[in-house]
Amino acid sequence: MTPVVECLVAFLFGSVVGLLMQRSRFCNTAALRDAIMFRTYRNTKAMLMAMMILTVAFTGFMSLGAGHPMEFDVGLNTFAGLFLFGIGMVLAGACTVSTWVKTGEGNVGALWALVFTFVGMFLFSLVWSWNWWPPAPQTMTGEPNLPALQLGFANARTLQDKLGVPAIVFGLVQFAVLLAIYRAILRRERAQQEKHEQHQKDVAGQDA
Amino acid sequence: MEFFRKTLDPVFALAAIAVLDIFLFLLLGAWTVGGGETMMTGLIAQAVLGDDLQRIPFWNIVFPPHGDYWKIYISLGMLFGAFVGATMSKEFYLRMPRRASEWLMITVGGLLMGIGIRMAYICNVSTFFGLLPEMNLGGYLAISGILAGAWVGSLVYKKILEG
Repeated sequence: MTPVVECLVAFLFGSVVGLLMQRSRFCNTAALRDAIMFRTYRNTKAMLMAMMILTVAFTGFMSLGAGHPMEFDVGLNTFAGLFLFGIGMVLAGACTVSTWVKTGEGNVGALWALVFTFVGMFLFSLVWSWNWWPPAPQTMTGEPNLPALQLGFANARTLQDKLGVPAIVFGLVQFAVLLAIYRAILRRERAQQEKHEQHQKDVAGQDA
Repeated sequence: MEFFRKTLDPVFALAAIAVLDIFLFLLLGAWTVGGGETMMTGLIAQAVLGDDLQRIPFWNIVFPPHGDYWKIYISLGMLFGAFVGATMSKEFYLRMPRRASEWLMITVGGLLMGIGIRMAYICNVSTFFGLLPEMNLGGYLAISGILAGAWVGSLVYKKILEG
């Protein structure tokens, strides 16, 4: 596939995603923030649904050696980076997707968050150029590198290669865990609904 | 059209996006946003700094800027798709944060997101819709990080809202 075709496919994918996100008001930040702060799960359920579908599909294709899984070493920087990101997305009220989607709706605050995401990236590029951490992709080995706080690389396909068990088997285990979380949320929502209905009945009873 | 009048169920929307992401995974790689944003940062920096950008090793070694990087176009597509959706449903209008504290939170939040993405080499989209479904070790590290961060962020957010 030529770079131009790759860019066209990516643009087409992004356009449909942007449209569906805008029409559904899905927000990844809300999926985490609302579950933590308000115990509401509208977005959390949607995120889990996508994760369940993708787990089965990705590990299924990885069992066959198909697809393009991401390959790079992970380590302390993965945890620490997403920790900072998690704080940032709640403060900004938007994540990488919703900054683009909300900007497309005319939200100037989202555009401002996007501009400062770029500024943050540039600032980190200066810090990286000074201390060269985390290691550049060219120096990654796939093996643990403890002085650089790196754990190496592992995914469903490396598990398949090492243990001789198809990647989809691990995928089905992960699917079952995600499904259990999804069902627990549904149970909690039902309980909240029943409590709400009971409360309304009590109030109506008092008024009468 | 009905599609532009009613809010779509996010569970349905994300299931549809997941199916599209499977095709993208087979053709190019799973849905991601941070990589494209980094490349855009490099291209903007190159436009501003010119050849001086070559003096910053990160842009020589990790992300040499070039415009035909497919991940950039996912982000531009999302902007376009959202604009079309908002315009067709008459939901496009300029919204401004009102209070100075909101501007400050958005500024700090944006900076932390940018720093975090570059430190981790991934964003939230790759975490939930790429690494975790691939059962990448990084996915579990990243989810632990983003949950801890979102919890701390929520505490700070509550304090600011109440204070």
